[in-house]
Amino acid sequence: MTRVTTTWTTHETTSAALGALAAEGATGALSGERGIVYLAAGRVVHVESAFTPDLGALLTRSGAVAADGWWDAVDRGGRQARVGHRLVDSGRLAAGALEVCHLGALFDAAYFVLAHDTRAHRFRPGAVHWLGAVRSVPVDVVVRECGRRRALLDRIWPDPDIDTVPLTRVPDAGAAALPVRRGRTLTQVDGVRTASQIASALACRTYHTLVELRRLAADGLVTAAPPAPASVAPGPSPRDVVWDDPDTALLRRLRDALEAL
Amino acid sequence: MPGIDESLLEAMRLPGARGASLVDWISGLALGAVGEAPGGDWEATAAETAELARHVAESGSLAAAGAGPAGSARPAVPAAAPAVAPEEEPPVEDMIATTADAYHLIRFVSTPFDSTVFLHLWLDRNDGNLALARIRLSEMADRLVLG
Repeated sequence: MTRVTTTWTTHETTSAALGALAAEGATGALSGERGIVYLAAGRVVHVESAFTPDLGALLTRSGAVAADGWWDAVDRGGRQARVGHRLVDSGRLAAGALEVCHLGALFDAAYFVLAHDTRAHRFRPGAVHWLGAVRSVPVDVVVRECGRRRALLDRIWPDPDIDTVPLTRVPDAGAAALPVRRGRTLTQVDGVRTASQIASALACRTYHTLVELRRLAADGLVTAAPPAPASVAPGPSPRDVVWDDPDTALLRRLRDALEAL
Repeated sequence: MPGIDESLLEAMRLPGARGASLVDWISGLALGAVGEAPGGDWEATAAETAELARHVAESGSLAAAGAGPAGSARPAVPAAAPAVAPEEEPPVEDMIATTADAYHLIRFVSTPFDSTVFLHLWLDRNDGNLALARIRLSEMADRLVLG
């Protein structure tokens, strides 16, 4: 589809590779360590990361779209990469709501893809996401926004461990009168789950959950959980608990690949 | 059914409208913007107004009188509830800042899924009609999400 003239592989970071692909007006999917960025004509149209809930999770687990309705749109629109249009055309979601939720998911996943800005793994020219066109964003806007988000977290509480390790409540810390979102986030802190698992449980964007968790950490209410002792009784490891999003994402991709045969 | 750009362009048709944007009040991202940016830079304006809006949205005092579902949802008693639709928030509907020559009208948009956005309308004080703009912006916020 798109002729790629320069080599994105020469770039040391995902953001630099994205910049080069944007300059070429490339269409396709760039995979990095933490997710995949979809480009169309050099602009970002979608981003996926295992660390963030995708559009389907945000819409169905909040109850905004019934799960049946979502899968019906995926079934009918997936092959033509028109799932977003199907949702709107079938009256399940307003056009503006789709755009707001899509941009929310896009920037959320982009934050994680670019948070550890390592070398991109591969680029699949011409690859199109099954969601289809909703809104596109210039690469430089996405890269700049991710940097700004990183700085915002560090201004709140400069401890990046909070973003990745299992979290626990600080014993005896009084949590009176928290804002609604922050209080809801705190209820999910159980000594086992990580920020992205908490976001998944709440059907919230992960970055926005990180903001609440860093504020809770700054308030002395939440801290990193001590590592579990090595010889505890056999049971599910933290990784096995409540964290099904990567599997659904994988299954969905698998199905799309099979349908494309 | 209007998307983000159509909604912002509709806001710009109000008399005295100088600029309009849709902003996330937690991250400070401008999801869309049309017209002039107050201060000349949409990204900077969005980040600043987001911080202001966040303080208002999270205020326990402003929403205290007759606090409905948002007040009662304040989790003094933590419950291991499953995913909760965040439709009851924020408790504040809108806010208005008045300068020598303009109004800034900020309208929170309530969505059935996780989003934390507001519409920001910059209105000329001589040509604009604040009461009308407030009603229209509220209708636009509903149409953006409900169609």
